[in-house]
Amino acid sequence: MLNETLLRFAEWLDAQAWSSGLHESYYMYNWVESTHVLTLMIFLGMLFVIDLRMLGLTMTNVPASRIAARLNIPMMIGFAIMIITGLLLYYAVPVRTTQSIWFRIKFVLLIAAGINAWLFHRRMNESVSTWDNDPVAPKRLRFAAGLSLALWAGVVTTGRLIAYDWYDCYRVNSDLIAWAAGCMAE
Amino acid sequence: MELLPFFEWMEASLLGQIGKTYGGVYAIGQSLHLMSLALLGGTVLVTDLRLLNVVLRDVPSEVVAENAHKWFKVAVSLIIATGIFMAAAVALRMYYNAFFWAKMIALATGVAFVFFVKYPLLKRDHSTINPVVIKSLAVASILLWFSVAATGRWIGFS
Repeated sequence: MLNETLLRFAEWLDAQAWSSGLHESYYMYNWVESTHVLTLMIFLGMLFVIDLRMLGLTMTNVPASRIAARLNIPMMIGFAIMIITGLLLYYAVPVRTTQSIWFRIKFVLLIAAGINAWLFHRRMNESVSTWDNDPVAPKRLRFAAGLSLALWAGVVTTGRLIAYDWYDCYRVNSDLIAWAAGCMAE
Repeated sequence: MELLPFFEWMEASLLGQIGKTYGGVYAIGQSLHLMSLALLGGTVLVTDLRLLNVVLRDVPSEVVAENAHKWFKVAVSLIIATGIFMAAAVALRMYYNAFFWAKMIALATGVAFVFFVKYPLLKRDHSTINPVVIKSLAVASILLWFSVAATGRWIGFS
């Protein structure tokens, strides 16, 4: 039911002239994709610095909350650009992407990373006054920082794997793969 | 110097064969390359935006530059290692790709810039350096590393 709805939505997008126009435009599509990838340097780059500080691996003589607060804005600017360009990339190739197992895993990892970031900020704001100047954050926050790095590594990897057609629906896949990819049409 | 035999040797090497044969391993190499690029971007941007007084204005720029440089070295080492792995599998295609050579020139310039210009200068007390020089350094650095990343991305499209 869900897969059918998603596929119908993807087919509706696919039928729009702008969708195929974007996909078929060599420069526009490649610039959107390049911007999506290069923004990793802003978004993930800032996130790496924040997480490394929480893990006590960089700028340990600077309060952790200061690093997180000051780098939050450039990080969110990078995130916003990634979301916009990501939506455009989906809009350009909606049917294949909807039925890509890698895209689906990426989406789940993105939600998990979002929940982890929300919990991380809540825990940090609750307890920061007790450890802010410590070189290393408390265990729970270190775990959240490590989890954040692992989840984003997963997002980058699955994002990269979307380009490969190993498990595309036109191929003969196991029932599990076909189910996870939501294969209904080639 | 003729480099074609070296690229032929690279593609036939064990490293080249692994990348060619195992698509999954190659894709993991690509992902590690991207994550290293993100780490490099973070270290470069955090330093340069601090030098431009955009972020971390209440943290001494010497502290930011010193700490970021340590992770920059990790990132650039990982980028080069994963880059060699990726290039080995498609070495001949790279040899004839103009963007590959553009990226190599940009990367060599970027690395030379960091180790021979930027870092030696930033090791000094920043208050003794002309602010115009500091800001020019930051802008040049951002442009250089953006060129490295952009030419690298465009290899895949050409």
